[in-house]
Order: sequence, then C-alpha cells, then structure tokens
Amino acid sequence: MSGTTVDVDTLGSAAILRIRGEVTSASEAALGEAYAKATSAGARSIVLDFSGMEYMNSSGIGLLVTMLIRVQRAGQKLMAIGLNEHYRQILSLTRLDEAIHIHDTEAAALAATA
Amino acid sequence: MAFIKSLRRSTGVTPSPAATTVASRPDAAGAAVGPAATATRQGPSIEISPSDALHAYLQAASGVVEVDKLELDSPALTEIRAAGVKIIVPLVTQGELIGALYLGPRLSDQDYSSDDRRLLNTLAAQAAPAIRVAQLVREQAIEIQAHERLDQELRLATLIQQQFLPHSLPDLAEWQVAAYYGPARAVGGDFYDFIELTDGRIGIVVGDVTDKGVPAALIMARTHSILRSEAPRLVSPGAVLARANELLCAEMPANMFVTCLYAVLEPEAGRFTFANAGHNLPYVRNGESVTELRATGMPLGLMPGMVYDETTATIGAGESLLLYSDGLVEAHDPNGEMYGFPRLQQRFGVDLAGSELIDRLLDDLRDFTGPHWEQEDDLTLVTLRRSGASGSFADAPADAPPPRAAGRVLLELAVPGAIGNERMAMDRVAEAVASVGLAPARLERLKTAVSEAAMNAIEYGSEGRPEIPVLITVTVSDEALRVRISDHGLGGPIPDPGTSEVPDLEAKLAGLQKPRGWGIFLIGQMVDQVAVEPGPDGLQTAVLTMDLTGGD
Repeated sequence: MSGTTVDVDTLGSAAILRIRGEVTSASEAALGEAYAKATSAGARSIVLDFSGMEYMNSSGIGLLVTMLIRVQRAGQKLMAIGLNEHYRQILSLTRLDEAIHIHDTEAAALAATA
Repeated sequence: MAFIKSLRRSTGVTPSPAATTVASRPDAAGAAVGPAATATRQGPSIEISPSDALHAYLQAASGVVEVDKLELDSPALTEIRAAGVKIIVPLVTQGELIGALYLGPRLSDQDYSSDDRRLLNTLAAQAAPAIRVAQLVREQAIEIQAHERLDQELRLATLIQQQFLPHSLPDLAEWQVAAYYGPARAVGGDFYDFIELTDGRIGIVVGDVTDKGVPAALIMARTHSILRSEAPRLVSPGAVLARANELLCAEMPANMFVTCLYAVLEPEAGRFTFANAGHNLPYVRNGESVTELRATGMPLGLMPGMVYDETTATIGAGESLLLYSDGLVEAHDPNGEMYGFPRLQQRFGVDLAGSELIDRLLDDLRDFTGPHWEQEDDLTLVTLRRSGASGSFADAPADAPPPRAAGRVLLELAVPGAIGNERMAMDRVAEAVASVGLAPARLERLKTAVSEAAMNAIEYGSEGRPEIPVLITVTVSDEALRVRISDHGLGGPIPDPGTSEVPDLEAKLAGLQKPRGWGIFLIGQMVDQVAVEPGPDGLQTAVLTMDLTGGD
C-alpha cells in the first residue's frame, strides 16, 4: 500500500497541496494537516495537485467534501489540477466540479487566484 | 543519580528534607530518584503532571524557583509546599522539563544566597542533559530488548518452518523436479511437500498460511502433519483437502486460514490430478504456450463442509508444471507495480527445467524489483518437467487462445474481509480482464466500481473481519463481462444502487448529509448494469456488468 503524502507549497496567497499516493479514509490526517498548514500560512486559495495521486475511492471523495466545507466556512477557494480523465469524470458525476475549480495546469490555476 | 548526592556534599546546601528529582516525562518514571539512604533525609517524590500549571512554569523558568513566591493554581505546588520544599531547581534540556530538584530550608537557618542559586543553576544546566541522556539510554535499552525478542521469534518461526520443508526431492524416472523456498524477513507461512503414495504415485503440496511469524509457522506445521497422515489414506486430492479443512476448521485461530494446492502425480502415465483450496493455480507449459489449470475451492480452515473440485491433466513428454505462492506474483517494483500473473505466465514459457528454470525466474524477479528490494512475502516455487521429445519446444504448434465461450471464468478469488483489501481485489480483477480488451476508460470505471463494491462487502458484509472472506468471480461471454462480489451480509443487505438515495452535494456542504456516502452511487454510475442477487450458499452478491456488444 502506498499511503498518502501531502507537501504544501505556498505561492503568494495560494497554497498548492501536492498529493502523492492514495486518497482514502486513511488519508484524513495527512490532508487535514496540509490544509491546516496552508491556512495558517494565510492561503486564500487552496490548490489540490492530483498529478501524483495513484488511487482515490469514495471515502477519499468524502474527504474532499469535508475540506470543501472547511474552505467555504473560511471564505477560501478550492481548486484542483493534475486530474486524469477518470477522476475528472468522477468529480463531475458527484457534482464536486461545480464547487471545486478544476484547471488543466498549475499556471492556469494560479492565474485564476489572482 | 550520583550527581545529586554530590550536590549536597559539595555545596553545603544540605537540604532538609533531602533533594529528589521528579520525573516529569510520563515515559521515564525510572529517572525519579529513589528515597535517600536514611529516613531523615528522605525527600518527597511528587509527580508534576504535564497538564499542571507548575509544569509549564518550570519549563519556562530561567533558573531556580522560590516556592514561597509562587502563585499558581497547581495541585503539585500545594503538595510541594506541604512537604516543606523551599526551592525548586527545574531540570530543562532542549526546552523540555525532564525533572526537578526539590530543596528544603537551609539547615543553617539562613536563606539561600545568590551564590547558592548560581551554583544550583550551573549544576542544573549540567545535570539536565546528563539525565536526559540517561533516560534515552534506558529507552534505547528497552527498545533493543524488544528487538531481540522479535528477532528470537523470527528465528523460532524460521526453525519451525524449516523442520517441515522436505529435505530431499523425489527421485522420479523421466521427471526433472526442483523446488525453491525463500523466506521473507518476517517469515510468512509458505510450505511445500512431496508425499510418497502407493503404486509409485507422489503427492505434491504447495500452501500458504495467512499471517506471519510463529503462529503461522505452527499452523503450517499442523497442516503439514494432517496432509502427511491423510494423503496416503484418502489419495483423492479433493477428499484430502476436504478432510484437512474439517480438521483445521476445528482448531484454526481467528483471522487465519490456509490456501493450499494438493496434487497427485502418476509419473509413468503423466497424469496430474489436483484440487485447490484457494491457492494460485498451476501452469502447464507445452512448447511456448503456457496454460493455467483450474480447480475451485475455498481456503482451508474458514468454514466446514467445503467441497473441492478435482481437475486432471495429462503432462506429455517435454511438458512442464509450475506451482507457486503469492510471494512471486505479488512482489512490487520500486514504483509499486506488481509482478503479476501475466508476467509469470509469460516468463514460464522458456525451454528450461529444474533449477535452471527456477534460477531464471528468480533472476527475472530481481530484474523486476531492482537491487534494493526487501522480500515482502515468502516465495515458493515447485516445478516438474517430463523428459523426452526435446524437440517439442521448437515443433510445438502455438496453441490458439481458447474461444470466448459463454460465461468463461477469468478469476475466482477469496479476499480476507480486512479493510484495505479492496485495492488488491481491484488489481486482481484488472489483471484478470486484461485479455478482454476493454477500452482504457471503461477499464478504469470497472476498477473503481469493483473497488467500491469490494469495500462495501468488506466493511459491511464481513464487518472488517479478515476471517470472513469476500468472494469474487469474474466471467466473460460474447455479450458481457461480469464481476460478482459475494459477501456474508453480516452488516445487512447490499443497498441497490437503482433505488438508493442519490447523495446531494448541497446537502452535504450544508451539513445535512454526511460528507461520505458516495460509494453505492458511484458503482451505479461506473458500470453498465448493477444487480443484487441472493446466494450462493446464504451469501449475497452484487453483480457488476460491462456490456461488450456495442462500441465503447
């Protein structure tokens, strides 16, 4: 099993959460800590980078919803990059793509935060 | 804690009551100084809890603390005052309070001078790191002891295991036999055996006990002795496994079972008859073509009353058999990629036999895993080749792939009902359907659906109990690919995606629905059809169907 690691890069008012490995119920702590770190650094936009993600299941989608709730309460913006076609489709089926702003590239996401 | 005594001698600050340290690290109680030698010098041993206000105060204090000047709401401080302590010397190293010295009033009735305090501070600054080092040394010693125990257990497991591996290979005319067993560091429960039967027949066993270490080794030993005693009496492989299952069910510890393949070889006729209790299926090589022989049955020790099918194949001159355990096919390369059945099937298709073949397979495994691989599981290989017709490799016609018959079985799998195994189930199904040629996007959707349905079956059907398996069958016909996922329904019936409530994102964001609860919805969206069926045998089954008739 690969587990989850999340590195946080802060770029101005945006924080990029680089997710590697899997996003499942076991990822709760890693994602929660990364979000807390981004927020305490003052990030207004949280960009989830899925390009290193190997696997996500429905529990992982549940974690995205939890993060979305926190982001909306804090008045931040949640974005996603690096999603492959399959997971884009899943985000679309769950309508999460209406609340999470999906971009093709990191540059496009950062431009949209400005 | 000799240095504390030397404090009392060298300074003349003879305290009364005597000095003592108090361990403030909850894991280092041994650092607390015991009672002094004489009753009159016995000091208080007062623990300061990390949640006590005094703890934070001492941790931040820049030197000795006068008890009379303290105003803190602290249970420890009340006790310390009551014991007559006048001065507390915090022992802080790297920002962490690791102990404290308590000093009573000076015996000379004078107050502590600033010289006294300076000396105490100097001593504390030197003593604190020394005590911390002592604590670390002690922790290290405990850790080393634990390691040694573990190492000893591993040695014991290895020893048990090796007692029961065959010391020699059967000497069969016209057959070349070789076997390999490589234990993982943690020693899994692999075993193999050759049993002499009447009329020159030979029994061949390859098995794997779930779990590792001594418990697995003991179950392996028990299985070994059951098979040794039952095989000559019952002969028929199906009957031998059914009997072993009955005996093992009665005594199997929770969370364990045994996968096992038992075969009887008639060397002269080349007849190979086997039954299978959830173990990897054997491969037969004829020229370059490698086929898998199939026989179904549940692992041993899970539930009584199981029946084991028998399959017979005739091994012709120049043909080979390969029996193997998970350790090879489930090895991972540095990128997390699994070695897998297709690769083994392909690599077995070389004109080698005996130890040369085994060496070739192990070399290929090492090429795959890279030099830094730590073997994940025990690894067992048993191979037999019938000699003669050496030209058959070149002459053998390439076998055409079998026609896609209605309901051909691609995979039968029993997954222990432990959370996390859904990904293994997903990978195994993906491997099994590789030959069907689904479009990549549809394969991804099937994988997600299988993983979600298997996760539900594990979480609810088995309630996460590894000893309650989830059964997965994959079949393909001209019209459709079907994955059947059967569970024991401990947590209630499988929800029907057709009638289940659709999760609503707005309601979840507003806190009206739980953030989770997407699984059933996703399954319904990912595959062409989902049905829930009762059976077989009191199980309930989710049937996932991918249509193969239309274009993707």
